[in-house]
Amino acid sequence: MELVRQTVRLLWKDLLLEVRRRESLVSMFFFGAVVLFLFHFAFEMPRERTAEMAPGLLWLAFVFTGTLGLGQLFQAERENRCLEALLLSPVDRGALYLAKVLFNFLLMILVELVVFPLFGVLFNLDFWNLLPSLFLVAILGTIGFCVLGTLFSAMTLRARARELLLPLILFPLMIPVILATIRGMEIVLRTGAFEEALPWLRLLIGFDVIFLTAGFLIFEWVIES
Amino acid sequence: MKVQVANLSKAYKFFWALKDINLELRGGECVALLGPNGAGKTTLLRLLSALTRPTRGAIEIDGAALTRPGRLRPAIGYLSPGEHLYEGLTARENLRLFLSLYSVKKEEEEMTAALEQVGLSRWADNFVSSLSAGMKSRLLLAKWTLVGSRLLLLDEPYGALDGSGVDLLDGYVASLCRQGGIVVIATHHIPRALNLCTRAIILHQGKLIFDEPRQDPWEHFHRAMGEFLPRGERWSS
Repeated sequence: MELVRQTVRLLWKDLLLEVRRRESLVSMFFFGAVVLFLFHFAFEMPRERTAEMAPGLLWLAFVFTGTLGLGQLFQAERENRCLEALLLSPVDRGALYLAKVLFNFLLMILVELVVFPLFGVLFNLDFWNLLPSLFLVAILGTIGFCVLGTLFSAMTLRARARELLLPLILFPLMIPVILATIRGMEIVLRTGAFEEALPWLRLLIGFDVIFLTAGFLIFEWVIES
Repeated sequence: MKVQVANLSKAYKFFWALKDINLELRGGECVALLGPNGAGKTTLLRLLSALTRPTRGAIEIDGAALTRPGRLRPAIGYLSPGEHLYEGLTARENLRLFLSLYSVKKEEEEMTAALEQVGLSRWADNFVSSLSAGMKSRLLLAKWTLVGSRLLLLDEPYGALDGSGVDLLDGYVASLCRQGGIVVIATHHIPRALNLCTRAIILHQGKLIFDEPRQDPWEHFHRAMGEFLPRGERWSS
């Protein structure tokens, strides 16, 4: 119960700082939109290849946008050595991790809520009736991105070239999430049947559970070393 | 309360910031931690606060090792002026956040009273980014007053404080020591620290070169500290 209380308190702090500064969300929205516009000008998507190409392009946009958010994730803690203030306190290190994962997840979901329809409009896609199913797949992929991304964002916190280092070590490990999400979305788009995508969703759920548990357990070691 | 430091050493890559420090701090002691720049004062405070792990040696607080400091953390306060506060939160929000993380339940009135005590009641709802360095130090003092840590580590606390701020800090330090707590003050304001402290420790190049309870007269201290004072300046009690 104490863990939940501390997680909520820390999440509230992050949300309050974000609402006041609007640094991460605004830059993520803007970057996501810019990437989509670039894709729009760079690729022509024939209707028969929509299911094949759309999920990949969409997820590339999310991954780039999410990486931008991960770079900012511990910004408030870097200023004034606030991370030290948190580490001095008896707060459960797992609560620190969960709060950051949830905060990152909320930011990404907000971005996805805008980017999904924008993608449909820009590429003239008729996927509106599949949007809830697609979004469900995207949510599982986003959780995977956030649990692993938050862990590596904390790992590279004290690194000098962290902006460079973070994607270099994160992207290879994200391959299962990216692959499963893209395949899951492709199947939903191609067949319209959500059940067909279940094997990929199971993989995503497995990944999310394993890395959320691992992240929760090792975050103390990551953040204090 | 008792803090036991045994063979404590800390290396940053190939540089030994502290080497084989042995200390025992007892409840009620106020310790002045002195020495020239780079002597290892901040490193020692960071080790005592468990923010940094030692390369060798051990620290025990009331018999419990500081290697897994979980349950010891509320007992350790670390005041480093201008740091450890969220700039985007107000003074009151910072207090509320940290008290909640320390599981210290305080009514809003108690927080208001603490802010008033440190002279910040008018700025309680101002963002920390708009506070001066001295006001931030006062806010940190309010935080540690409310948390009530028994081991208080102060890293250059006098730098930004004005006269009344210094009095407030000294008053809190004296009252904490009277109640059996331990205060360690790392500072270059030697006369001020020695007025308050019951013991002085001098570090030089990572080694402990002086450790004595306060005496009057204190010739040993004069001899040990003399070479680190500015030219022409001599500390006098």
